[in-house]
Parts: sequence; C-alpha cells; structure tokens
Amino acid sequence: MPDLSALWLTARLALVTTLVLLIIGTPLAWWLAQTRSRFKPAIEALIALPLVLPPTVLGFYLLIAMSPNAPFGGFWLAATGDTLSFSFAGLVIGSVIYSFPFMIQPLQSAFEGPVQQAMRTAASLRASRIDAFFSVAVPMSVRGFVTAIVLSFAHTLGEFGVVLMVGGNIPDRTRVASIEIYEHVETLNYADAHALSLILLVISFVTLFCVFLFNKRFPAHVRL
Amino acid sequence: MSGSKLSLNAEIALDDFTLALDTEVPLDGVTAVFGPSGSGKTSLLNLVAGFLRPDRGAIAFGKDLWTSAQPKVWVPPHRRAVGTVFQDAQLFPHLSVRGNLDYADQRADADAPGYPRTKILDAMALAPLLDREVHTLSGGERQRVAIARTLLTRPRLLLLDEPLSALDGARKGELLPFLETLKTDFALPTLYVSHDVDEVSRIANRVMMLDAGRVIAEGRTDEVLSRFGLEAGRNPYEQASVLRGTIDQSAAQDDLIAVRVGDAMMWLAADIDLAQGSEVRLKIPARDVSLALTPPTGISIQNMLAATVTAIEPTKRPAFQAVTMSVGTQSLLAIVTRKAVCDLDLAPGRAVYALIKSATFHH
Repeated sequence: MPDLSALWLTARLALVTTLVLLIIGTPLAWWLAQTRSRFKPAIEALIALPLVLPPTVLGFYLLIAMSPNAPFGGFWLAATGDTLSFSFAGLVIGSVIYSFPFMIQPLQSAFEGPVQQAMRTAASLRASRIDAFFSVAVPMSVRGFVTAIVLSFAHTLGEFGVVLMVGGNIPDRTRVASIEIYEHVETLNYADAHALSLILLVISFVTLFCVFLFNKRFPAHVRL
Repeated sequence: MSGSKLSLNAEIALDDFTLALDTEVPLDGVTAVFGPSGSGKTSLLNLVAGFLRPDRGAIAFGKDLWTSAQPKVWVPPHRRAVGTVFQDAQLFPHLSVRGNLDYADQRADADAPGYPRTKILDAMALAPLLDREVHTLSGGERQRVAIARTLLTRPRLLLLDEPLSALDGARKGELLPFLETLKTDFALPTLYVSHDVDEVSRIANRVMMLDAGRVIAEGRTDEVLSRFGLEAGRNPYEQASVLRGTIDQSAAQDDLIAVRVGDAMMWLAADIDLAQGSEVRLKIPARDVSLALTPPTGISIQNMLAATVTAIEPTKRPAFQAVTMSVGTQSLLAIVTRKAVCDLDLAPGRAVYALIKSATFHH
C-alpha cells in the first residue's frame, strides 16, 4: 500500500489553489469580459501562457523569483520568516500561476455577452453593480463557475514540472502524488506506482465526468 | 409633471458619426424617436438611461441633473428615475415570471410615486403567466412581462426601445393594444424608439426624427410624418402623409365613416366606433394618391381633395417624382411618374385635385 500522505498533500494543494484562483480569478475574468482596454490581448496572452509553456520554464523563473536573494523571495522571508522555495506556500503560488487559464477562461466566457446585457437590465431595475453581480451575473454563470473550479482543481492534481522545480521533493511538505509516482518508478517500486497512478486516474476521471454530467443535466443558470 | 422637460444637450462620438443633441422633450405623452436604423436612436436612449456617457454636454430630467461635464455630475443608471424596456424584453432566465417582477418590486424606490402592483399586472394581463418559466413565454408575453417589470420600478420616464421589432406581424397586433393601454392608463412620459411609421402614428403624440446623429425634425406626429414623407429618396420606408380630421357622423352613409378634413369630406370603411367630433389621423400612402387638373367624373374613387402644389422633387427612382401639396393648412404627398408631372404641366402654385385611393385610420 502506498503512502497516502502525498495524496493528502495533493488534495490540500489543489483545494487551496482553487480557492485562491476563485478569489483573484473572478474579478480578473469580470474585468476581461467587459473591458475595451487595448492591453486586453496582451493580458489574455499572458494568462494563456501556462497552456503552452513547458512547466519547467515556468518553474525555473518561479524558482529564481522565490529565491531569498530575489526581491520577492527576500520580501517573503522577511515577512513570514520562511523561505518561499521548497515550501507549501511556494507550491500554491506556482500552482496558481500554472492553473490560471483554467480558472479565467471559463469564467470570462461565462461573463461575456448575455450576462453583460443582463447587468444593464438589472441597472435599469435599480440594482447597483454589486447587487446585480450577485443577483444576476453569478446565477447566470453557474455553469462557468463549476467548469472553472473543477478544471482548476483537476489540473492542479496533475501538476508535476512546476512543483518539482519550485518545491523539490520533500516528504509531507512538497512531495505531491505525481512526484511520489515518479519517485516509485525511479526506485523500481512498480506496485506502489501502479496503485497511486490508478487512484489519480480514477479521481481525475470522476471529477471530469461530474462536470460533463452537470453541464448536460442542468441549464446554463441556476433557478432561484 | 407636465411643463417640465427632459433636456438633452450632449454629444457622443459613435462608430460612424457623432450623435449631437440639443433639444428639450416635453415630459408628457409619448414622444417617438424615429429614424432609419443606425441613425442613433438607441444611443439616444442609452444616453438618457445612463448606459452611455456623453463626451461633452449635459442631460437633465426636469430639475435633476443626470450628467454634465461642468459641474461634473454623473448619476449612475440605477439611480435614475427612468425605466427601460429593451428590444428583446431581456427577462432574467434564472427567474420565473413572478421572480422577474419581484426583482423590480424589491428594488423600487419605496418613496417614489408609482402604480399598485395589481393595477400593473391587470393592465398587462399577467395573472395566468406568473408561475411560468420565462423561456416558455411567447415574444409578446415576454414584452408584457418586461413592461410590467419596468413599471414596478416606479419610473418617472419610460424608455421603450422598439418593443415590437422582435415580433412577427400577428404578435405585433397582439401587443399593440397593451402599448396603447400603457399610454392611456399610465400617465408616464415616454420615449418610444421606432422605425415603423404605422407604430409611430398609432402611438406617439410627438416625433423627434433622427438622421445620422442629428435631430432633423421635431413636433406633432402628423406634422413631422407629413414632412418626413417629403424626404424623397432619403428614407427606406413607404412614403405616406398623415392628415388630421374630425369625425362627422351626420355625413356618414352606406356603412362608411365620414371624416372632415379641412373643408372637404372623406369617407372610409372601418370597423371602429368613433365619437362624433373626435380627432382622427388618416394615413395616406403617397402611391395611392393620383392627381387631376379638373374634378373627374365617372370614376370609382370616392375621396378627392382640392390641393395646391407646393414642391416637386425627384425620388430614388428616376421615373417617379414626389409632389407635395397643401390641403388647407396640412400637407399631402403624391408619388407620380415624371411623365405625368410633365403632361399635367405641374409646378408649385398649380391647383390640382388629389384622388385618394386608400386611407387608413390611426387611432
């Protein structure tokens, strides 16, 4: 039986990452859905980068930025008393950047078009912008939220390169499931590699299956 | 509210032209904002509603300044006492009919004067629809819900953006009576955007005509529409004149309704009851007006008006010309062939008889 602590760490990482992404991704996706700024294409390209960039490239830059000698890493060390590289916090930052497009893109497309028109309609019915966002935009975009949350979560589960570069391979601290599998294979422990791989495969499939099932069964918005 | 005005003194650059407004709309009755598509009608509504910010200038509703550059004022859309009914109703898909109505009800300014919910629901005949999901409604039903929802916000100014345009012919006919109820039972000043002459002459008291971002005519519906008919070749619509008249029942005969237009009498067939002396408007398509130099005899056309030619202008089609005439104090338009103008030697000042093949009531 494989050590499940790596799996537990992975789940914690995916949960925290998804939560952080939801909090910073929602306003950013909202801004992108309605802005006419000329910087929009550049920002969209930047957000989509992790889709095409080798995770090692991203991880390499992050590792440099998180080093205690770099301004950001030094600031973190001074503020928290802990280094960012090879820590759980460092993993979260890396994962957030790595999974960014998976949160932003479904939300942005959910917020565009009909939702923006519905915001005007809500304003004509005396709703303030914040009121209209929660009473109209969110219920109309529920499918986008579910997709964004699940994809971000599932994508973080499967992360390998960025984590390896930024977090290394410290048991209980930065050794996530994907790295543990790599470790098992390296040490020719195929039985545990099999078990852990199967668990990840099943979790990932079930998660994605639930999204597609949800999107098929439920309308694009919640009924209140 | 009568006596106060919506003053529009604002400019905004749009894609193709600049919408430049310098006008005041009296806040009573229905004012049609009329013109071809792309003339700036909807942008005008958006400026009033607050969905667009003018580049310069000011918009004031009576004494309330809604937007201005100097002093810097901006009232956001949800704080303006204006209700917008959008072209395609824009009901919220995640709420039922009742939910949509409640949404407006809960956010209405409780201190503002408004109409009771029951009166609004009755007027739009919504009782049987309350528990329906909005996606099960017909186009006309959606618009009725949208109108009721807007009334529930207690607006002091109503903006209707082509409420009939998303509907086919039969549905239009179903909704029109509700729009007329809206006009008669709810005394709300209204801006009504439309590019349909029939709708405008049926619903509006006044017309503000837009072309490429400018107001090119303003005034009473019949006056502006007649003048508009003169704009030969500039509009894509059927050209028609609108004549004012009064019902004269003493002259009615053979199941026809008699209408006195100036010194003349016209007879129309229509299945409507109109009180003696009531004011009516008659729409006369310019193609259904023929001209004669002497009163013809032995002809089936019943309606004939003595007129004086005031102008002859070209139309889009070279074979035809637009002849404008005065009939008493009103004006009438005929589209006839250039050959006819030549043969009859028509020119401004010439006395003619206008033979009217068809006319329809509006009201």
